[in-house]
Amino acid sequence: MEEALLRIREIRKNFGGLRAVDGVSLDVAAGSTTGLVGPNGSGKTTLFNIVFGIHKADKGSVYFNDESISHLAPHEVYARGLVNAFQLPRLFYRLTVLDNMLLAARGHKGDSFVNSLALRQEWQEQEMKLADKAMELLELLELDHLSLHPAAELSGGQRKLLEIGRALVSEPTLLLLDEPAAGINPNLGRRIFEKIETFRQKGLSFFIIEHRVEILLEFAHWIYVMDKGKIAVEGKPEEIVNNPTFYQVYFGEA
Amino acid sequence: MDPLIYILDIIVFVGIFAIVALSLNLEYGFAGLGNFGKVAFFLTGAYTYALLSQIGLPFFLCLIIAALISASIGFLISLSALRLREDYLAIVTLTFGEILRLVVKAEHWIAGGVWGITMPSAISWAGASPRMMAAANIGLVYFCLILGFILVQLVSNSPYGRVLRAIREDETAAEALGKDRFKYKAQAFMLGSGLAGLGGGLFAQYLRFIDPYMFLPTVTFSVWIMVIIGGPANNWGALLGATLVELFSRGTRILKDYLLVPIDPNNLQYILFGLLIVFILLYRPQGLLKESQVKTKALEVISRWKKHS
Ligand SMILES: Nc1ncnc2c1ncn2[C@@H]1O[C@H](COP(=O)(O)OP(=O)(O)OP(=O)(O)O)[C@@H](O)[C@H]1O
Ligand SMILES: [Mg+2]
Repeated sequence: MEEALLRIREIRKNFGGLRAVDGVSLDVAAGSTTGLVGPNGSGKTTLFNIVFGIHKADKGSVYFNDESISHLAPHEVYARGLVNAFQLPRLFYRLTVLDNMLLAARGHKGDSFVNSLALRQEWQEQEMKLADKAMELLELLELDHLSLHPAAELSGGQRKLLEIGRALVSEPTLLLLDEPAAGINPNLGRRIFEKIETFRQKGLSFFIIEHRVEILLEFAHWIYVMDKGKIAVEGKPEEIVNNPTFYQVYFGEA
Repeated sequence: MDPLIYILDIIVFVGIFAIVALSLNLEYGFAGLGNFGKVAFFLTGAYTYALLSQIGLPFFLCLIIAALISASIGFLISLSALRLREDYLAIVTLTFGEILRLVVKAEHWIAGGVWGITMPSAISWAGASPRMMAAANIGLVYFCLILGFILVQLVSNSPYGRVLRAIREDETAAEALGKDRFKYKAQAFMLGSGLAGLGGGLFAQYLRFIDPYMFLPTVTFSVWIMVIIGGPANNWGALLGATLVELFSRGTRILKDYLLVPIDPNNLQYILFGLLIVFILLYRPQGLLKESQVKTKALEVISRWKKHS
């Protein structure tokens, strides 16, 4: 295994009396696809939200590239190259598909008020490059014909795809994907994972929550199984499939 | 009264309120900020202009400073209000508008309290007729309007404007895509307040007399109507809305003098206004003009892609 890109240490999070995450420690290796599985309500999304700064942990720390990011706001985490795609797509529904994609670009000069007026030439050029890149991604996700339609016109599966495509525009170092293959047809689900693999080979790392375990087992290098807020088992996919605890927490059978 | 003057007067007012409508459109239409205290920034601009012109500063300096002070106050308000929940922004701004007006009204030493404040004419020259003066005012107001319009058009058709719209749609998602939503909202609020202040300054310089009764909350509401009728997030819509509302209110003001109805003619104006809004919200809830697209060179790239495939 390579060195750890993301290190999560002793994270705990309560919602009222409910302990959603209960002392989780784990590593995501640079250049890997790391999986996180577990039954509904086991705390997976909550853990992602803590990593990304949407929730504050009650205890514990998160390090990204050896820097503590526990106290950063989401936009600051994002600026460091750690990007999150939501489980339920959160698109800008009245904006076009293309606008949704372009909004995800990191370091767009025209994003700042002063530069939007002062550096028009520069950001317009950036804008054209980004649009090309966005269209390539959209073509891949079979959304290119909808590029100028409002995101509200997309179907459920297409929304999911756009959520992921948007995250890819940002050229992250590490991408957190919360159930990328949920709610879309199985073929497309596989194709998304194949695409993820090509991006991984180009140097991206992925930390993926996925209920479609069979796809994840095929693409992940390391899998964490979460149950009731704790990591129950971890290991390589081939080890996980042979581990009785995995079946027990996941399917409630021994 | 000279009918031509009356028409010129309407043209001046349309221009002034178009500037204020553009400012609300930036805040509400693009950034989704419900500023219900627009009149406060209009008032700030007007009184700043009045006080400065009394000291004898040249009118263009008075206008610039009026806009700057109004923008600074907008910034201060945004620091506190924008961190609160959405509906609090409405309450804070609404209250702020009334408080500011009541302070100006009660505190005589500031600007004459209820008696108002007069100021020397900025635009006058020997032998200037009222018509010529009005025409000169149109020149000044529309010069400012064009500058303001170019500014908001540039802003709304840029990546920055796209971020504002994104924050309006879902601020958490915008934050998750690396946008510092407080910074953006504060900037939009500041810019909007500055423009409204400029409108206020022009208003004062045109009338050469202002008093607190000119800054009732109804001013805020009529600006809202302009934006909603014209179509939020469309700068042309704000211009259209300002024109229609101003013409409508002048029209009903004339109409009521010739109508024999068993109701207070002043109320008739409000009733007609209410009907107009209900009508538009029923048949065209998104306003007369649709939200404009973000127009950048990205669109050229897309049409190229479309041709290839
Ligand atoms: N904002 C919140 N407030 C209160 N309770 C919450 C909140 N978010 C999550 N929870 C609770 O925390 C627990 C863990 O939820 P979480 O969403 O992290 O589970 P999950 O593993 O992602 O489940 P799923 O597979 O269904 O997405 C659940 O019991 C959930 O009800
Ligand atoms: Mg979840």
